[in-house]
Amino acid sequence: MAIDSIKARHNIFLVFSYIFAVVMSIFTVFPIVYTILGSFKTNAELTQGGSFFPSVWHFENYAKAFIENDFITYGLNSIIVSVGVLIIAVFTASAAGYVFARKDFIGKKIIFSAYSALVFIAMGSVTLYPTYSVLTTLHINKSLLGLILALVGGQITNVLLVTGFVKTVPVELDEAATIDGCSQYRTFFQIIFPLLRPILAVVALFSFRTAWNDYLTSFIISIFTPRIKTLTVAVVQMQYSINAAAEWHVMLAGASIAIIPILILYMFAHKQFINGLTAGAVKG
Amino acid sequence: MRNLTKKRLKESMYAYSLLGPNLLLFLCFSFFPVIWMLKYMFFRYGGAGTSETFIGLENIMRVFRDGIYWKAVLNTFIYAVGKIIITIPISFSLAYILNKKIKGSGVFQSLVFLPTIMSSAVMGLVFYLLFNVYNGEINRMLMAAGIVDSPINWLGADHALKTLVIVSVWGAIGNYMVYFLAGLQQIPQEVLESAEVDGATGFRRLWNITIPMMGPILKIILMLAIANAFNDMNMILVLTEGGPYNASMVMTLYAYKFFFPVSAASSVMPQFGYGAALSFVSALIAGAVTILFLRFSKKMSDIY
Repeated sequence: MAIDSIKARHNIFLVFSYIFAVVMSIFTVFPIVYTILGSFKTNAELTQGGSFFPSVWHFENYAKAFIENDFITYGLNSIIVSVGVLIIAVFTASAAGYVFARKDFIGKKIIFSAYSALVFIAMGSVTLYPTYSVLTTLHINKSLLGLILALVGGQITNVLLVTGFVKTVPVELDEAATIDGCSQYRTFFQIIFPLLRPILAVVALFSFRTAWNDYLTSFIISIFTPRIKTLTVAVVQMQYSINAAAEWHVMLAGASIAIIPILILYMFAHKQFINGLTAGAVKG
Repeated sequence: MRNLTKKRLKESMYAYSLLGPNLLLFLCFSFFPVIWMLKYMFFRYGGAGTSETFIGLENIMRVFRDGIYWKAVLNTFIYAVGKIIITIPISFSLAYILNKKIKGSGVFQSLVFLPTIMSSAVMGLVFYLLFNVYNGEINRMLMAAGIVDSPINWLGADHALKTLVIVSVWGAIGNYMVYFLAGLQQIPQEVLESAEVDGATGFRRLWNITIPMMGPILKIILMLAIANAFNDMNMILVLTEGGPYNASMVMTLYAYKFFFPVSAASSVMPQFGYGAALSFVSALIAGAVTILFLRFSKKMSDIY
């Protein structure tokens, strides 16, 4: 009797759980499915209503998006920028994180305090102009390199993430390497760097995603230099084009081109994305 | 003695050679913008090539007289509170359910987390179409289901802020679900099991054990949620530009408009000094909210 009622209660809980999880999954996935299915519809199907799936699959929307909006150039820019950001972020953050965790050097205290203090300050949009002016001073404000460096940014979170991780690597490894005659640089690059792989995967994944998805920084740096626009900027700017009202299908094709690469990456690395989020965040 | 200094110097040089690249990036893109803001909030400045005039506290005084800014501050609070009180219970419930290792738990997690990896600007464009008053899919579905009779002007002055809250919840629940999952996994199973043996029902275990034990983590999660909500801007910029008539204007976006145009087609008369002052006051407000929250949550944990 008692066991029956517990079982019944458990089943009711289970049913409600599934309903809730399904409803929430539909809520989160719907806009993405709408984007991808809509990218194959006609403008009339989208604006006047139609079936959930396209009546005819209009692949030419993609051709139109690619050609009309020069998406080949912008797609290439996006790839160069995102990969560039990933590489620079991984190397600079790992080297800095290692030094903070292991080395005692002149000025360490003040530099580390500066890093830690700025984690908590929400600067908002005010950083955009000074960032742009630094690039102008260096004469790289009209190049992809400038955009890459701006998107890499100060790396504070990544550095602190790596610092925390290096502290879990036994220090005896460094010592053993030094005794074996490894130079300091070789110790870092050949012994420590490979051991940091789990945390560097997180840094790589997240910095790639951030660069690929970024809108504001990329938009501002490319305002006066349209040829260095990224895909995200080009897609969002379609909203402001003259034909926007009549080209929902092309806009959705553009949006799909911008999100599909990330979706594919997510299919392969969803576990890393999800676990990476809490890699440094919730630890006691 | 001299050897020691020499060794330390050598060690320092080595350290800086590895730290250098990151330190440069940090100085240029994290540290310099703070200094820049702290300087130019006292200046009248229209950008490179124009003259800069020291005007003392004039910009700050103007912030306090600026009605639109304080409307934006109010909107930011409404937006942040709305986003957090809807997101946190949903995310916690999802985490609680999916932590039970029900069938498909992993798939549900991946689906709910999906918005987190999307570009909020690109999805802003999509939501712009979805919430369109006459042609949008949302109104069409609501009317087909008989929930509303006439189309809702989602992006109009009456509803824009609410729409932004809905969209921000869409983007956030997966994120906070994962934080809660990490928290739930830290609760020792033995505690829950022994409570079960003692006859505590599922709901009582949740209320008397799980939630209190989540306390410290909940505090961190709420702090993150507050900071994020105060900084949200991309989606708002693309979806409503803060309009119509500033109905959905938030602090960061308002400051932004004194620096840059909202699209390549529009233009702006830059007022960098005033933008810097706005950003400074906004940072103070966000900081004050965080400190108040910490005080409040400390009091709460003192009581319990």
